[in-house]
Amino acid sequence: MEKNSAMISRRKILLGALQGAGILLLSGCENIFDKLQQNQKWLSLLESVEDGNRWLFRFLTGRNKLATEFSEADISKYFKANGNPPPPTMDYLMNAMGGWGLWKLEVGGSVKQPTQFSLDQLKSLPARAQITRHDCVEGWSAIAKWKGVPLTEIISRVQPQPQARYVIFYCMDTDSEGNNFYESIDLYDASHPQTILAYEMNGQPLPVEHGAPLRLRVERQLGYKMAKYIQRIEFVASYKEIAKGKGGYWEDQGYEWYAGI
Amino acid sequence: MANLAYRHNRITRATHWVNALALLILFMSGLQIFNAFPNLHWGNKAEPEDAFFSIYAAEEGGEVRGYTQLFGLRADTTGWLGIQNTEMGPFPRAFPSWITIPGFFWLAGGRRWHFFFAWVFALNGLLYVLFNLANGHMRKFFLTPKDIKKILPMVLYYLHLRRESPQEGEYNPLQKMAYTSVLYLLVPLVLLSGLAMSPQLDVAFHWLPAMFGGRQSARTFHFLAAGSFSLFTFGHIFMVLTTGVFNNMRSMVTGWYREKVALSVDPLAPVVAEAAEPVGGLEEIVPEKLRSEKAELEPNPSPTEATSREAETDTEKESRKNGKE
Repeated sequence: MEKNSAMISRRKILLGALQGAGILLLSGCENIFDKLQQNQKWLSLLESVEDGNRWLFRFLTGRNKLATEFSEADISKYFKANGNPPPPTMDYLMNAMGGWGLWKLEVGGSVKQPTQFSLDQLKSLPARAQITRHDCVEGWSAIAKWKGVPLTEIISRVQPQPQARYVIFYCMDTDSEGNNFYESIDLYDASHPQTILAYEMNGQPLPVEHGAPLRLRVERQLGYKMAKYIQRIEFVASYKEIAKGKGGYWEDQGYEWYAGI
Repeated sequence: MANLAYRHNRITRATHWVNALALLILFMSGLQIFNAFPNLHWGNKAEPEDAFFSIYAAEEGGEVRGYTQLFGLRADTTGWLGIQNTEMGPFPRAFPSWITIPGFFWLAGGRRWHFFFAWVFALNGLLYVLFNLANGHMRKFFLTPKDIKKILPMVLYYLHLRRESPQEGEYNPLQKMAYTSVLYLLVPLVLLSGLAMSPQLDVAFHWLPAMFGGRQSARTFHFLAAGSFSLFTFGHIFMVLTTGVFNNMRSMVTGWYREKVALSVDPLAPVVAEAAEPVGGLEEIVPEKLRSEKAELEPNPSPTEATSREAETDTEKESRKNGKE
């Protein structure tokens, strides 16, 4: 019968496929997946969902809705200090010991009014305090109370020019190879009411391990976006020319620029 | 001769294999992500002393060993979990490299794989559901109140404590329960608990992490859902292997399932040769065979009873077959 012989040849193909699959599994998926991992085209394919995710999640959540705020009783006893160690420079140590009297935040780039702010000047601006959940990319969460200047207060003072799309935060900390930490967010997150430059944590001046004197809070994204030890803020049209061009220290190492997941 | 029934439509077959691949990759890349923080917590925050599940490496008596801890119970899992021997010596690592994607320790890479295949899983699942809702296939394995009453008889049947299968239609009540709970409980659970971990979604959907008891609870649920998927998959593969692997595989690749064949024609599928059950009765093939063996082993079988039983079974088979055709 014609059908039967077709079935037999099909069976041979099937058995061959099954054996192939067996070898594939026995020889270790690790190798096959790792080889794909090293293929640039494959990586680009995997990374291609990031823009869609950003667009969809922002579309679903609207523009200015607030992240859940908690009560004092919810504050974590332990809050892991991740990332690079505090800047080990003499300059940083002297400033830390001197209460940041000489430290100044430089804000510039594509803005009409480049400005420098001392810590006291920042503290004299309208402040916002919030008890929020910090979600680390590693998987843990911790809750703390943050107080600082909403980034919108800075924006209204320096007046970004129309071409400015991103805000870059240059930091004082470096990794073991001497790469400077930096991060970037776009104006969508920069203008969110809970996006603040925090100088206080749990009612105390921001501790050194959590980024003294100033760190960023971006409550709709993961912890690695929230730059610590901020020295300088720059408004730019594109981050492609900075460092490795991915928009941040962690992004340059493969993490998503959009860390809302 | 061959009596082939067209059992799985092409959308079901295609989505089945895409789903299998997506689940495998989601599971393995998920373990890579878990490795970055190999502890489970309840509530919104992760206080270190409150972890109820941990995989870790610790030094004891000058030797570094891997441990897995659940509440107060601690097991030495050296060689499996907590520590892995590499070319550069033992390396603390919750899940070993052969079960994670990427194999080497790279959280960023694991996330890339996970979020890409999450879309593959979701869209593929959506295609399956829409297509099979439209053609009425889903109704066939949706557990109804009528089926619930049949669950116990079905279990008894499998345990050889009941002679007749309570099955009506293409799927038996236990199959229906398994498929229904995966589709209507496990899939929503894994999707929602995954989305509940997003800090962006939290702003518009406070209830999403809250429905699980907090973001860390959602992470725990996500991990348990992944474990449930792997349990289901092992059960599924076991059933496929024990009820005529060739025939089962063929039906999910080509769509055609052989209902009744003569042994001489098909030496490669001896178990299937016994199959008299029409579409859907995969699991009954083996129990029926075992049951007749058991009958033979019974000490003093009344000859008339044995004969009538045999006759009854044959009639049953015949009538089912006729019904089908």
